[in-house]
Parts: sequence; C-alpha cells; structure tokens
Amino acid sequence: MATLTLQGIKKRYGPVETLKGIDLDLEDGEFLVLLGSSGCGKSTLLNIIAGLIEPSDGDVLIDGQSIVRVHPKNRNIAMVFQSYALYPNMTVARNLGFGLEMRGVAKADRQRAIEKVAAVLQIDHLLDRKPAALSGGQRQRVAIGRAMVRDPKVFLFDEPLSNLDAKLRVEMRTELKKLHQRLGTTIVYVTHDQIEAMTLASRIAIMRDGVVQQFAAPQEIYERPANLYVAEFIGSPGMNFIHGELRRQDGRIGILSKTGAAGASFLPLAAANLAAADAAIEARIDRPVILGIRPETVTLANSSTAAAPHLASFEAQVEVLEPTGADTLGTLRLGADQVTARLRPGDLQQAGGTARFAADMSRASLFDPETGLRIS
Amino acid sequence: MSLRSWLLLAPLLALMTFIIGWPLAKTVAVSFTDAKLLGGDVHWLGLANFQRVLAAPAFYEVVWTTIRFVLISVGAEFLLGLLAALLLDQKFHGRGIVRALMILPWALPTVVNATMWRLIYNPDFGAFNALFTQVGLIDAYRSWLGEPGSALYAICLADVWKNFPLVALIALAALQSVPRELRAAAVIDGAGPWSRFRAVILPYLIGPLTVAVVLRIIEAFKVFDIIWVMTRGGPANSTKTISILVYQQAFSFQQAGLGGSIALIMVLISALLIAGYVTILRKQGELK
Repeated sequence: MATLTLQGIKKRYGPVETLKGIDLDLEDGEFLVLLGSSGCGKSTLLNIIAGLIEPSDGDVLIDGQSIVRVHPKNRNIAMVFQSYALYPNMTVARNLGFGLEMRGVAKADRQRAIEKVAAVLQIDHLLDRKPAALSGGQRQRVAIGRAMVRDPKVFLFDEPLSNLDAKLRVEMRTELKKLHQRLGTTIVYVTHDQIEAMTLASRIAIMRDGVVQQFAAPQEIYERPANLYVAEFIGSPGMNFIHGELRRQDGRIGILSKTGAAGASFLPLAAANLAAADAAIEARIDRPVILGIRPETVTLANSSTAAAPHLASFEAQVEVLEPTGADTLGTLRLGADQVTARLRPGDLQQAGGTARFAADMSRASLFDPETGLRIS
Repeated sequence: MSLRSWLLLAPLLALMTFIIGWPLAKTVAVSFTDAKLLGGDVHWLGLANFQRVLAAPAFYEVVWTTIRFVLISVGAEFLLGLLAALLLDQKFHGRGIVRALMILPWALPTVVNATMWRLIYNPDFGAFNALFTQVGLIDAYRSWLGEPGSALYAICLADVWKNFPLVALIALAALQSVPRELRAAAVIDGAGPWSRFRAVILPYLIGPLTVAVVLRIIEAFKVFDIIWVMTRGGPANSTKTISILVYQQAFSFQQAGLGGSIALIMVLISALLIAGYVTILRKQGELK
C-alpha cells in the first residue's frame, strides 16, 4: 500500500535528453500505465523508479519518502521484466524465493511464502521445474510470482505480455487485472499496446519524446485527448481528423470542411462544446481548425437523428465498406478528408454511392492545427 | 552413405590418410623396434621399449614436470583470464582499446614470445632483474632460467602472459551473453556482487570456461616450443616435459624407436584428455 510521486524527472545521455521533466502523482493502489511508442522514454522512467538507472534530475517518492538515493533492493519495489528474466539454473521454487533468500528470510518462512504465491498463481505443480521446461505463460506467472512473493509496496511491469501469443496475452491481461483488484498494490506498467493500457489502467500517462502528453483516466483520454498525438495514438481505427475552418453560419458555430470532390460540409458544434470553451472558440472563428471525431460517433442519418441538436448531419461518398462481423467499417469522403465510420452491419449494402450521416458533436474534439493542442 | 558420397569424399580421405594416418602408423610401427634415426638394422622388440620407458624413474620425473607446468600455467591463465574478463566487462573509457590490446600477447608467435621473455629474464641486462632489484625484492641479478629452482616458474610466467588473453576473451564473450534484465532482476532481488556472480553470472560462464580450460590443458600438456626456445629442458632437466623427452630421445640421441614409444604414450594421455573434452561438449549440447 503506497503512493508514488515523480517530481521533475529528467534523464540526459550526453546531449540527448530522453526524459524532459516528468511529474506524476499516484494514489495508493493505482494502476498507472506508461504508454508510448518505442523510444518515448517509458522504459527509462520505469528503470528510474526501480533504481536501475539514476535520473539526471528530479525525485522519486514512495509514501512521501524520497527513494532516489536508495539502493534498488531497499526500495521495496518488485519488477517483472519483458523477458521474464528467470534464473535459468534455478528451479521455479528457488526463483520465487531468491529475493527472500537474499534478504535472509528463514527457510521455513520462505517455503510458506513460495507456496502461498504458487497457489494464487496456480503454479504449485511446477515448483521443481527449471524455467526452460515451462511454457511462455507459465514463465510469465513465475515472473509475476517472484515479484509478489516479497509483498512489495510498488510493482513495476516492463511490457510483461509482449512475448506471449495473442490468445494468451488476452488471458493474462484479465488475470493481471484480477490480481490487481485482489492485491490492491500500486502498479506502474509499461506498454506500447493501447488495448492493454485502456483495459488495465486506472490512469494512463501517454509519453512521447520524453514528455508526458496526457495523464488521465483511460476513458478521459479516449473521449478528450489533450492533443493530436494522443488522439491519433489511442483508438482503433483511429480518430478521424477533418481539416477546415471555424465559421459562424445561421447563428451557429461549426466547422466548414475543406472543399473536396463532393463539395464542403458544415458541421455545427454541439452546445456542450460551445459552453466548455466559449471564449476560446470565439477567438478561433474564421481560422483553421481540426475536428476530431471517433468512428463510432458517426452513424447513418435517419428521421430521429435529424431532430437531435448535438448531431451534425452531412452527406458523404461511401468509398469502401469493410465488414468485421460485429460492425462494418465504412470509409467515407467528407470534404477533402477521409472519414472512417463504425456502422451497423446492414446499414449500407454496397459502397460507391452517397449517403447522409450524422456525427455526434458532443463527443467531438477540436484541435489547433498549429500547436496540435485541444481547443475544446 | 551411398557410394556416390563415398566417392566424393575419397580425395579428402586419401589426403587425410596420407598426412595424418601414415605418420601415425609409422610412429606406432617404429615404437616396437630399435630403429635408429640414421637407419641401420632394425629389430622387432615387441613391448620392450614401453617397458623400458615405464620402468625408468626419470620418465616419471618428466611426467611430473609436465603436470606441474600444466597445473601452474593453466591455473594462472584461468584465474587471470577470468579476472581480466570481469574487469573488461565493466564500462570505462577506453574499454575498446584495452580489449584490443589484451589480445596482442595471444597473437604473438610462441617462438617470438619465448625469445622476448628470454631477454626479459637475461641475467646480465634483463628487465625482470632490473625491476626486482630496483624495487628491492632481490639484492643482485639472477639467472632465472639458469637455476633449477626458478626455471619452470619463469617459463610458466611467459606462457601465462601469452595465453591468459584467450581465456579472458572466451570468458568475456560468455559474460556478455548474460541477459541485462537477468542482472537487473538480481539487483532488485537484493543479491550483492558475490551472490550475483555465483547465482546469475557463473552459470553462464561455466560452460565456455570449462571448454577453454580443457583446451588449454590439452595444449599445455603437449608443450614444446616455448620450453625448447627458453631452456631446452634444462637446467638439470628441471624444465624437461614429455615432448622435450620425445624430441631428445628421437633426435638428439637418435633413438627413433624409444622416442616413438614415448610419443605414443603421450598420444594416449592426450586422447584421454580429448575424450573428456568431447564428453563435456556433448553434455553442454544436451543442456541446451
């Protein structure tokens, strides 16, 4: 049970600054996912928390106590590595107990702790085996068990699922979540997989080039991305970006898309958006903006959608239809931009024609094309 | 194997039979006779040569000298090589240069190395004497290679200097095969430097190091050139190893038959060592 605080963490390698001042504050029992593509600094940050890398600047605190000068073994943290890093010459039992052994825990106590953890992770029948004789999923469990056995204040996970096959990955993901619910320990988890991040995290920190782009709950990040990078990174298929200008037409403020083959469309903003950042929006009128809409907020227009004030309807050319089973992905042409819509199967029979669609503007995002930052 | 594959192998087999098989067969044949190097009548002696060799106390002295040379040289090469590898595994400025420099002694031809150390040990102007007198460890210049008490150790030192880099190189390669995450896991698990070495690093080292040491033992057991150049087996036979004995019997004393029988005994011992080496290799293969 512990809080974890990162204050102004910087890391320089020569002239290269891989971490440019990271501030994060975790409450007790939180599941933080550090998300980003490779080279964003997420693993460096994790290693700094573990004490394997020394930060050039900044502080790491557990329960308000600075640990940045504390040796890794005394930080009361445990780490699960991507390669599992099991000791190949030791049995599973000894792997699990090695940390306790090094801390001088008596053999009988060690044995009890090992058996308890092995039972929780259902690896009690493997205790006498060597890691080479285990499957990927079993090794993963042993690696997690080795971290659990010491009952640390903070768990660190470095891409723990990336070496598993797709099916096992989903299973282990669910198990990790169960484990966290059961143990309630604070976790920092590094991954480049947005699904892992969304499903596991209580909060996600999206990193890019050593800077945290957004630090928020998964749904918040999904619905209200802080900038274009986050908007693009999260969601599959990704958020649609419609380039255009903010205009006032017929007393309503909306986005006038760029003119494409099918002409331009005017998408009025929802009242919710207007209220949120009135002044900011007023200042943008007649200037270029980027509208971000999620594929599932675009639906086929019908009589009921026309009446709803937060739905903006537009006509678009249907270029491609891709059935995925549960839904059908439609590639539409809106102004000069391509838009993906997550439609119900059977909404449209064939591609090629035009149709009317409705976009839920209450769930739309507005970005500044110059800075990439969210306006509203 | 089909006839075709045997036919394709035939030229190589013929060549190997000629350059390896024939001299070996000849040595075996000669070892049962009283053949002289310069010819003359040859008589079949049966096992008489072997009986003579094995009955002579001088032979066991030579064997003991060889064993001492092997133990001291290979032991020191192993220790120094391991320590050097651990050192070169650390990060420091100029590591690349030091690594390259370390290989140099090993790249020297043995004869060059032996000649160089003879100069270093020179009783009149040798650097070794100069160093030891200047730091006050000895009072006067000595003939390191000329005294039975020190000659073997002096040769061992020269041999170690030349051959420890090989052990170091192999150990270094093994050290670098230890996964970075495994070392990190051990640090977090609270293992100190010694525990980390024993529990995490040593398992990766033991295989390659065993191979290196066994190879060095086989080589050291057959040692000839470095000793021949430095002392020719002297003084007072204090550096006479089995190879030197073979050479002396066969060529200096022109007793080809007797020399051949000693050589054959040596081949047998070498074969045993090689069998051990192959067993180790096979075991390691099974482990993987």
